[in-house]
Amino acid sequence: MTCRELSELFELYALGVLETEERAEIEAHLARGCEACTASLAGALAINSGVLSLTETARPPKHMKKRLMQSVGVKYPGWGWVWALGGLVALLVAVWLGVQERQRTTELAEARKNILQISGERDRLTTALQFLSDPQTVPASFGKGQTAPPRGYVFLHPQMGVLLIASNLPAAGAGKTYEMWVIPKGGTPRPAGLFQSDGTRAVHILNGPLDLANIGTVAVTIEPAAGSNTPTMPIVIAAPVGT
Amino acid sequence: MMLLKLLPLSLAYGILQVALRLADDADLVRRLKAHEPKAMSDLYDRYGRLAYSIILRVVRNPSTAEDLVQETFLRIWNRVQSFDAEKGALGPWVLTVARNRAIDHLRSVDGRMQANAIELDRLENPRHFSTIDSNALAIDRMRRLKSAFQKLTPHQRQVIEMAYYEGLSQTEMAERLKQPLGTVKTWTRSALQILRTELGEAAIA
Repeated sequence: MTCRELSELFELYALGVLETEERAEIEAHLARGCEACTASLAGALAINSGVLSLTETARPPKHMKKRLMQSVGVKYPGWGWVWALGGLVALLVAVWLGVQERQRTTELAEARKNILQISGERDRLTTALQFLSDPQTVPASFGKGQTAPPRGYVFLHPQMGVLLIASNLPAAGAGKTYEMWVIPKGGTPRPAGLFQSDGTRAVHILNGPLDLANIGTVAVTIEPAAGSNTPTMPIVIAAPVGT
Repeated sequence: MMLLKLLPLSLAYGILQVALRLADDADLVRRLKAHEPKAMSDLYDRYGRLAYSIILRVVRNPSTAEDLVQETFLRIWNRVQSFDAEKGALGPWVLTVARNRAIDHLRSVDGRMQANAIELDRLENPRHFSTIDSNALAIDRMRRLKSAFQKLTPHQRQVIEMAYYEGLSQTEMAERLKQPLGTVKTWTRSALQILRTELGEAAIA
């Protein structure tokens, strides 16, 4: 084949799709330094790359460049540090918010506890006032004439129960509690509730109807924290009823 | 058929990329020869998207395309020492290597490897690209090439795509299209002639 005939085949030759015989002819021309064929090859390569450059573009994956750079031993920073910093900031914010939330929860719990305590105090005072203002209430005192405290009053009501107000009453001690007893005339003491002293005074109420005619004494002893079924000696307070 | 579906926007983007990359390819080649890490980064920024597009067009699998892009750029990196920084056209070389890596992969999958792999390897030798016009991918040529494609008949476009994106010989095209070999050769030669004529690179008279 002549150079002119071959010149129509160089694009296919450069693409590697030419048939064996034609390819061999072109290579023979190129091997002997044929200038026309060398120019045809250059022109064909230019056309081929031009055609390829018209390929509709697609977006390569973002990590491709990083992978390529790593393959030639280049540390490619990318934007990973931004995500890492963002993650750290998010973590710190989350921890801070968590601490704030826990602090708020603790404060709320404390406030609720105070409110309940105040509410309980108010209820006890209201009950105490009801005891004191009701004409059916029978008072009894204790500690009068004693050299050692405590001193105070017991108020008994046939429907409302017993109100104990004690002063100079020291704290019961670690693992201990005060327990009130209602002792019938000639009978065995009945447990009437546990209470604590704030170190100087104590108010305790036993709610429920009473048979005032049969009650001989209201007493208080120091018992283990869970309370007892029978009083432990000595008796701390003894208030005779109806004397 | 894909070549006809070229979007004006993507073409404009491609043309802009080509225009920008022509300016300092020679400097880039010098830095690649010095194995400057930044040079590889610049090479990818300049030709990575186009190389990926060509390879994806051939293999039609993003994961495989990613592997072949890596192979393409590593091949450039390892063979750039033989490239003539002053006279060589870097863009055409990169695109040719990208296309050839993809066609090699296609042929290996199809069981058409053998001697063709060696042939493609020889055809992408850097010295071939030291004699081609450094303006091979210039804006004006790209426009004329696109215009030439619009003049091709459907059969002509089909055989061109089979040659460029599937690596089929004319015999293989004839078998695929169930057409006589002579007919396929006519379509192919006439199509290439139109492209040459539009670019003012008519075959030797």
